[in-house]
Amino acid sequence: MSEVDVQLDARRRVDTLREDETPWRIRWRRVKTGFSTALSELLKSRTATIGSLMILILLTLVVLTPWLATHNPIKPNYRERLEGPSVEHYFGTDRLGRDIYSRVLYGGQRTISVSIAAVALGLALGIPLGIFAGYFGGRVDAISMRFVDGFLAFPGLLLYLLIVTLAREWKLEGFWNDAILVFALGFAFMPEAARLSRSTALVESQKEYVEAAHIMGEGRFRTAMAQVLPNCVSPLIVNATVRLGYMILIIAALSFLGLGSSPPTPDWGADLSAAQEHMESHPMIAVFPGVAICISVLSFNLFGDGLRDILDPRLVER
Amino acid sequence: MLVYTINRLIQLIPVILILSIVVFGFVQLLPGDVIDTLADEEMIDDPEIRKALEKEYGLDKPIYMQYFYWMAHVVQGDFGKSMVTRRPVYIELIERIPATLYLALIGIGISIVIAIPLGTLAAVRRNSATDYTAQTTSLIGISIPEFWFAILCILLFSLHLGWLPSSGYVSPDENLAKSVIYLILPAVAVGFRQAAFTTRLTRSSMLDEINKDYVDTGRSLGLPERRVIYKYTLRNALIPTITISGLQLANLMGGTVVLESIFAWPGIGLTIYQGILLRDYPVIQAGVLVLGVFVVLVNLFVDLLYRVLNPRVGLG
Repeated sequence: MSEVDVQLDARRRVDTLREDETPWRIRWRRVKTGFSTALSELLKSRTATIGSLMILILLTLVVLTPWLATHNPIKPNYRERLEGPSVEHYFGTDRLGRDIYSRVLYGGQRTISVSIAAVALGLALGIPLGIFAGYFGGRVDAISMRFVDGFLAFPGLLLYLLIVTLAREWKLEGFWNDAILVFALGFAFMPEAARLSRSTALVESQKEYVEAAHIMGEGRFRTAMAQVLPNCVSPLIVNATVRLGYMILIIAALSFLGLGSSPPTPDWGADLSAAQEHMESHPMIAVFPGVAICISVLSFNLFGDGLRDILDPRLVER
Repeated sequence: MLVYTINRLIQLIPVILILSIVVFGFVQLLPGDVIDTLADEEMIDDPEIRKALEKEYGLDKPIYMQYFYWMAHVVQGDFGKSMVTRRPVYIELIERIPATLYLALIGIGISIVIAIPLGTLAAVRRNSATDYTAQTTSLIGISIPEFWFAILCILLFSLHLGWLPSSGYVSPDENLAKSVIYLILPAVAVGFRQAAFTTRLTRSSMLDEINKDYVDTGRSLGLPERRVIYKYTLRNALIPTITISGLQLANLMGGTVVLESIFAWPGIGLTIYQGILLRDYPVIQAGVLVLGVFVVLVNLFVDLLYRVLNPRVGLG
């Protein structure tokens, strides 16, 4: 049997209705098979394997932060200022005697949660816009793409800077400050997600299955969301993964400029900015948060690279 | 081509319109208004005077009329006065743009000089040690936050070794040699990250080209490998690299904010950043608008250039 036959056969076996099975159990079985297929595909690429392992570790650290941290990250201790790494303080202490190891952990928890939320928001806003633009074409496409172009015209950090400045002026603190950060990052990601899903939807909407759905009397909105969207997912997944890494960099840059979190919140970027003052005498305090940023971004980039190789087999065969 | 260019120029109008609405809306969304600031400064609490002031500033008009007034001024290059220095904003901006452009251009230059040979070599010797080194370095390069890289460079080259100044700016017209010394660290920090991007791009577009039929044709005609690769393949593979570099340049105009603040580089990014810290809203508005329009124009130019370099792309 050829590979296609094997796949078809597997699909058939999955889809066969057993007598005692409810539709939900069949669905669950499909999810399970889908998952194991995805996993075995993933393990074929070394890059993706390493990347996914690193991400798994990162997420575990994020979840377990309260238990892994050894000290209160915001409590100053003036007797133990600027100490080097030791058994008591794994990464040493900062200029206020706070434990850098615990601060790096808590900073990571916040940064990674914010970036995941922001990417999710960007996708949730951008995908429907892009799919409708690509699928309906014509005026819908022209109007929404000019709208998207308008937001893409903000170079570099500027759109983030504008939104974060607003947050500052409205004196938003704590949760609301993070919420506005998620909004800023997610909103700024929206145009890219829209562009990408549009270009895929444009190609997909010309295919025969879309026509088939029309003939079967499916409504246009339903066709767009239920038929076209699932086929546009793979480039979006790759893009979203890489974007997660990029979000971490932007969050760090904004905090480095003093526009992200307010002190004493543990924050990679803000801690690096504070470390600059004591860099000459205590270079180590400028190292750990930076390494943390690097490793997190690297994990997402590795995973994204690996995923792209898997989802776009054209590149691997060569 | 002419029709296409005109079409694209027409398409720019809504883009710039959205840009200006966002920039205008930004100040509208800030808590308080000009009158509040003025009232605070001059200790005015008489509602009559407030009314008169509102009328003078046009704040009694509906919001879209205020936008039109503002746009009418902006189109004439009048962005108002800086609230801090009391000088016209456009003068502040014109003075600052060259420094950013200088940094961005040299940064992109460094990245191209490193990335194109490295990316090409990695693609030609696919899966060799060279390729893996290039891939790993560029992957790390895009994962390092540039401000951290900059800090580490300062730590090593200026604090530890004392070879280069840690921050500052000297204009090249003033003293070229000194200017270059101040430029090295910031430009390397800009170039490093860009080089990582460009290496990855060059490698993948080179791999795309190497597998095309014309390369096999060239080889089967008995052309030397060197000539096939460097004369025909590279030339095609560089089209996306060059265009993306153009886009990166535009993006860098607003993307060097962090590096400008580390190196005290008096560019437009630092101006906008200081505007934010000092709540100098006309400067923020004008800076973002000017950069946005600049980006849009560079993108258009790059797009047109791409079509000239690569006539296979339709003009649709």
